[in-house]
Amino acid sequence: MSEAGVIHDIGYQRYDGPRLGRFAMQQALYVHGLRAAYGLGRSAKAKIFPWLVFGIMLLVAVIVAAIRSLTGESVLSYLEFAGQMSFLIIFFTAIVAPQLVSRDLRAGTLPLYFSRPLRAADYVSAKFAAMVSAIWLLLGVPQFIMFLGAAFTTKDGVKGVFNELGDLLPGWGYSLLWALMFAAIGLLVASFTGKQAFAAGGIVAVFLVTTPIVGVLSSLPSTTANQLAFLSSPMTLLAGVGQWMGGRFDLELGRFGPIYGIEAVCLIAVCLLILLARYRKVASL
Amino acid sequence: MSTVAFITARGLFGRRRALLLLPLPVLLIGLALICRAYGVSPDMWGQAVIVGLGLVVVLPVVALIVGTGVLGSEVDDGTIVHILTKPLPRYEIILAKYAVAASVTAVVSAVPLFVTGALAGSIKLGGALAVAAVVGAFAYSALFLLFSLLSRRPVLVGLVYILVWEGLLGNFVSGTKNLAIGQYVITIADKIAPTEILQSTIGLTTAVVMSAIFIVAGTLAAINRLSSFSVAGETS
Repeated sequence: MSEAGVIHDIGYQRYDGPRLGRFAMQQALYVHGLRAAYGLGRSAKAKIFPWLVFGIMLLVAVIVAAIRSLTGESVLSYLEFAGQMSFLIIFFTAIVAPQLVSRDLRAGTLPLYFSRPLRAADYVSAKFAAMVSAIWLLLGVPQFIMFLGAAFTTKDGVKGVFNELGDLLPGWGYSLLWALMFAAIGLLVASFTGKQAFAAGGIVAVFLVTTPIVGVLSSLPSTTANQLAFLSSPMTLLAGVGQWMGGRFDLELGRFGPIYGIEAVCLIAVCLLILLARYRKVASL
Repeated sequence: MSTVAFITARGLFGRRRALLLLPLPVLLIGLALICRAYGVSPDMWGQAVIVGLGLVVVLPVVALIVGTGVLGSEVDDGTIVHILTKPLPRYEIILAKYAVAASVTAVVSAVPLFVTGALAGSIKLGGALAVAAVVGAFAYSALFLLFSLLSRRPVLVGLVYILVWEGLLGNFVSGTKNLAIGQYVITIADKIAPTEILQSTIGLTTAVVMSAIFIVAGTLAAINRLSSFSVAGETS
């Protein structure tokens, strides 16, 4: 029986629990993004493609580790790994970036996100961090398996393991560079369309189209053009940065090494700035 | 049938996304013009521009965007229901869509390849590339049209084909070359106008027969799939 003066009490209650701020939202978006990248918490169909790519990468790593332990030869170094697997990384970017941003556009969830204290910068940084982590895991885990294969079969005892670790850490750093570059470009392209199919096609087109430009510039009859040729494609740009930082990639950069570093940083920064500008205003569908 | 084709073509060109098709051919011709202007020998840049960009990137990517766009986007939007409920035989729907996809791809890829080939060598090379690109456009379109009926995510399946099958495995496992449309295109162009730029790895007969098999089998399978097509919700 209800009290006098109350006609209907259907049990509405105010929320009086703790209200988490922007940081918690960012964190939630990051965790959700990283899980979505690998299809965790989603249907089996959503897992096919990311795990296909991850499986192939793992397979390659296991084969490399096996050859290393049987013959003692290193067929693929930690630094070369990303470059050799570049097609798979492009494909992975084309799968994940539309998952992270195009779905939100298509489903019209952005106005809901931004009606909270969440800001555009928070959204972009959470998505970017999730994508970077996803790509880095894609590269870092196979590299770690290669490391395990090498470390357990080393003949120099603990010293051999530390030598191997000294090779692995720059490899991980270089993978992080790849992850930053691919995440920035991938998210930028994907953020312009709500259709995942077109976003995926666009990302692949951007990465593949730039490769032949390197070939063309390398064939021009000018040493300067040849040494600057690798700037025109993200993949060779990263190899150039790696070379400048002291890795061995057999690229002829001449004295232009620093330019590669500058362009890589600028490219990532510009992509992120455009991404921020793009989320200044989101249409509600 | 002509109405379906007309509506498909309008859906392809009526929106902004048709502009996506423009940069690739422009880049192809632009690079060829730059190399030509610098007076570089075509032997140096022909391989990178014609094969590396034209046949390996522009042709498959355009075919992928167009081929999955004609039917895949209708499945995605759910508007496919409107066509399926019309009193039209399913093969007419597929043939109309296929004709649009293949001819648009053929025009968008063959014209710039003709220009590039003419700049790199002779009109004959340009013609050979154009013919090969048309064959490739028909084969790729049949395959990608089939993909858009087999899977809800045809672009990703198509990308697996382009990147993993033709790109990655083609480099390591030579056996896959007999089952890669890209190799047929290169072979056909090379046999019509033999140059240093193109290097065919399989026989002309194999290339022509296999292309025909891809076209016919792909279209028949697509008709078969559409005959028993069930409309379901979007994948999660």
